[in-house]
Amino acid sequence: MGFQVSDAPVLDLIAVQKHFGAVQVLRGIDLRVERGEFLGLVAPNGAGKSTLLRLLIGMHRRTSGQCSVFALDPDQSSLAIRSRTSYLPGETSVYQQMTGASFLQFAQSFHRGRDAAIERRLVELFALPLQARVRSYSAGMKQKLAILAALSVEVELYLLDEPDRALDATMRMELRQVLRDLHDAGKTLVLSSHHLEELQALATRLQFLRSGTLVPDAEVERTRTQLQRRFRLRLARDLPLPAGATILRREGDGTLLLEVGDSPAAWLHTLPPDAVRAAELGNARLEDLYEVLFLQQPAARTGAAP
Amino acid sequence: MIARKTFREVWLMTLVYALMMVILQVPVILMWPELYDDLKKSALLRNAGFDFLQRIGAGVTDHQETIAYRNWIAVMLFLRSVNLLGIAASVLLGTALFARERETQTLEFLLTRPVSRGAVLWQKSWPVILCVVCPIFVVNTSAILWSWQIEMDLPLAPLTLANLHGSLFVLAILAMTTFVSVKCRVQAHVAFWVGGIVVLQLGLYLIPRVRRFSLFRLSDFDWYGPILAGNIGLPEMFVPGIGPAHSLWLLLATLVFYGLAWRALRNLEL
Repeated sequence: MGFQVSDAPVLDLIAVQKHFGAVQVLRGIDLRVERGEFLGLVAPNGAGKSTLLRLLIGMHRRTSGQCSVFALDPDQSSLAIRSRTSYLPGETSVYQQMTGASFLQFAQSFHRGRDAAIERRLVELFALPLQARVRSYSAGMKQKLAILAALSVEVELYLLDEPDRALDATMRMELRQVLRDLHDAGKTLVLSSHHLEELQALATRLQFLRSGTLVPDAEVERTRTQLQRRFRLRLARDLPLPAGATILRREGDGTLLLEVGDSPAAWLHTLPPDAVRAAELGNARLEDLYEVLFLQQPAARTGAAP
Repeated sequence: MIARKTFREVWLMTLVYALMMVILQVPVILMWPELYDDLKKSALLRNAGFDFLQRIGAGVTDHQETIAYRNWIAVMLFLRSVNLLGIAASVLLGTALFARERETQTLEFLLTRPVSRGAVLWQKSWPVILCVVCPIFVVNTSAILWSWQIEMDLPLAPLTLANLHGSLFVLAILAMTTFVSVKCRVQAHVAFWVGGIVVLQLGLYLIPRVRRFSLFRLSDFDWYGPILAGNIGLPEMFVPGIGPAHSLWLLLATLVFYGLAWRALRNLEL
């Protein structure tokens, strides 16, 4: 009999709630992540994303609802889940008194296998002085070591809480490729990040966590549709805007973010070609989605996490 | 791996703790012959304000030098070294076990590995238990060799029983510190609470009317003296009814505190 891969979703949460005393951090999370998916978790600070990730590995016990990871209950079978999961905490979590190499060995010792190829690649990429004590590392180097420890173990699920924190743009781009390769290798990833471009570039699906609840897909779609009425325009000189157009924002380079009732394509065609330096239509950027979903919602300002 | 890491963190402190025990032990043994003469002449301890000091004075000036010497060992090796250095080592090593991990944000790393919280507690605790207990047995037993230098006899069996009791006493303090270390977020808070409890216990011991409520009542001269004199054996140490069973209560306290620490760690949500 051959080895069978379960068809059950890797993560399956139904109406999961989590309270810390009187504070309600998660307010009924419904989430399903299939094997091989790359889920991006978009959330402002205090929305409950770290709590959600900790709950998945049994670090926190849910107050109510149903939760399964690899068809196992994290409250009952957290060891079995953790042996198949690599979790990178939101706070850099490395032992200062160890050398980089001994920390790496320590972190890998908890898992049955290590991914030597990823390890070699990240060691080369990060160029960390692994024989030096971690206390001599900068904040960015400590974060790189934590990433190296989290990604170099052979597991099925990676829960990464802001891995790109304290990394410069070059490193973020390199890390992006490593995560993409893990995904291509069939791993399941859940990534939370404040760098929206990372999430947009990597995730096969995005979920927006707002004040302890996931924003319903219907609301996200509605917002996307609404955002498609917006367009970015950079003009060479002042020209009258189409009737009914509203300037939402004027960016530093002179780009205008406009909202129009009808399609602006017809109006654009009436303009002389040299009058338009740049125009972007029908593309709902993640940052715009974030702005509408989080910054223009009163609930977003009442962060839930303690 | 967790146990090995813990060993690496505490071995130097353990070495210092053992060396301090040696430094405190050797001179008081080698100088015993002169001290015994001086003590016999001095009325200081016998006229001291505290009743237990008067009993110590009487004990270490006994007209039989063998008895006086064993009482001296009870005071110096157990009342002083074990009760002071042992407690200090327990508090220092125990404080760091979990509270420091919380301070440095590494506890989340540790508790999210595929290892049970009970195993984390065990693998962090047993190296520290060994580090606290081994110097007591090794250094105090070496007193037999130093005693030969001054032609005094210190029998192994009673000394081992006293070491066993002393170890249980510091283990009870270590277990309490471990429990508080799981509960507190900051090492300083652990030191405050455990230090406060120890000082309170010492204060209670100094007041005869409430002395029976003091933990130090279980580990004082009135207990170590008879053990080293060979008047208290294992049954009296562990079986209620036959003797006061002070060692049993300390063993139970140790188990209860480790049980509480395990429960607190199991329920811990960072």
